[in-house]
Amino acid sequence: MARDLEPTALDAVRRPIEQANGLPNAHYTDPDVFAMESKATLLSTWAGLAVGADVPGKGDAKPIEFLGIPLLLLRDKEGTLRVFQNICRHRGMILVDAPKKIRGAIRCPYHSWCYSTKGELVSTPHVGGPGHNTHEGIEPSTLGLIEVRSHIWRDVVFINVSGDAPDFEEVHCDLLDRWAEFEQPHYHGGPESKFILKVDTNWKLAVENYCESYHLPWVHPGLNSYSRLEDHYNIEEPGLYSGQGTLVYRQFKDEGKAAFPDFDGLSEKWSTGAEYIAVYPNVLLGAQRDHAFAIVLEPVAHNRTREHIHLYYASEDTKLENRQKNAAMWKEVFEEDIFVVEGMQRGRAAPHFDGGRFSPAMDGPTHCFHDWVARRLQAME
Amino acid sequence: MTPETLHQELLAAHTARDGERMIALYTQAADQTEDEDEEMFFLTHAYIFALEAGHATAPILRARLQEKGRI
Repeated sequence: MARDLEPTALDAVRRPIEQANGLPNAHYTDPDVFAMESKATLLSTWAGLAVGADVPGKGDAKPIEFLGIPLLLLRDKEGTLRVFQNICRHRGMILVDAPKKIRGAIRCPYHSWCYSTKGELVSTPHVGGPGHNTHEGIEPSTLGLIEVRSHIWRDVVFINVSGDAPDFEEVHCDLLDRWAEFEQPHYHGGPESKFILKVDTNWKLAVENYCESYHLPWVHPGLNSYSRLEDHYNIEEPGLYSGQGTLVYRQFKDEGKAAFPDFDGLSEKWSTGAEYIAVYPNVLLGAQRDHAFAIVLEPVAHNRTREHIHLYYASEDTKLENRQKNAAMWKEVFEEDIFVVEGMQRGRAAPHFDGGRFSPAMDGPTHCFHDWVARRLQAME
Repeated sequence: MTPETLHQELLAAHTARDGERMIALYTQAADQTEDEDEEMFFLTHAYIFALEAGHATAPILRARLQEKGRI
């Protein structure tokens, strides 16, 4: 076991915030630790994979790799979205190599075994010899595509690759309750409301930066002009999620002072309030009166992450120009964070860094996340 | 269409990934032969491409295979 993964290092992370250290360097710089940590934090939990808007139409299929695992996001002819392993049950060939609309069935490009959009094996050509398409040894009902457990919330497709996590609603009942008022349609803003940021950092640093407000006045001075540090509060739910809230959310308004329509029936809290929560492990959500966003962090390697950012509205009927301006505003904010998450990643090459110390007053949400990672790793030992 | 012409047409359809054309040509190949195994072989191909495309002929082709106990 690497020195950095000795139990004492994780114990130090799990101490009360006043005495705690952050996760050691190896958790950001070592590919072997990345692989082990992925099992503990990304494969055995409910991790974000994509959004429903990635496959908006019936029959839409999109191949996605998650930690090297070939997956297929597939919406069937009735509109139900599922996640499968993107391989044929015959020879393990990759089935779909680019996003496409499945008109009839998915045909494996190798020997043409075919699958329905529900994942059922529907044809095995020549499996019993030329022109004989059945064989007593091949039972199609047992050879459908391998489904990966999935759950969709706020249009985010969460997956549990290990298949043994408690149900999503059970794990996140507290958060579902917290944001119950927003359980209503969220409309993706379309192509101009999504963008990808490629960042040279470990995915955890993106979480850590997102969930605290401490950096706002320094890194986002534009936001701080109206949303001061003292207008924010910490959100900490050990073992589940953490983030920050603001008491002075200011709506986007166009030149005619028109705002996006609000979500229906929100309580007074949300008139000026908004919350930004990291749903462990890798989904960053924003809840606001008039629009929402979801960021799915794709862990590409120990030092590379792709941030998939999507904006949602309360109504299908919003102005394209306003959606474009709003997306540009958020893109600028998220791009302002890149130098810090990349800077912290480069900083993890410093051999005597001890994981760092936390501000007991300001870094609670970040420590909460570190504690969760350490807890998952300890549970795996 | 002679077998050779049909063969060339099929190769061209494969190269062009023209599913509609492959369904038509494999069906024609099945219809032209008098050998049942060969017919079922071609019919299987026509059916698979029809199934993939969600083509209207898929149930008809399937029924022909079923009739001969090949599916």
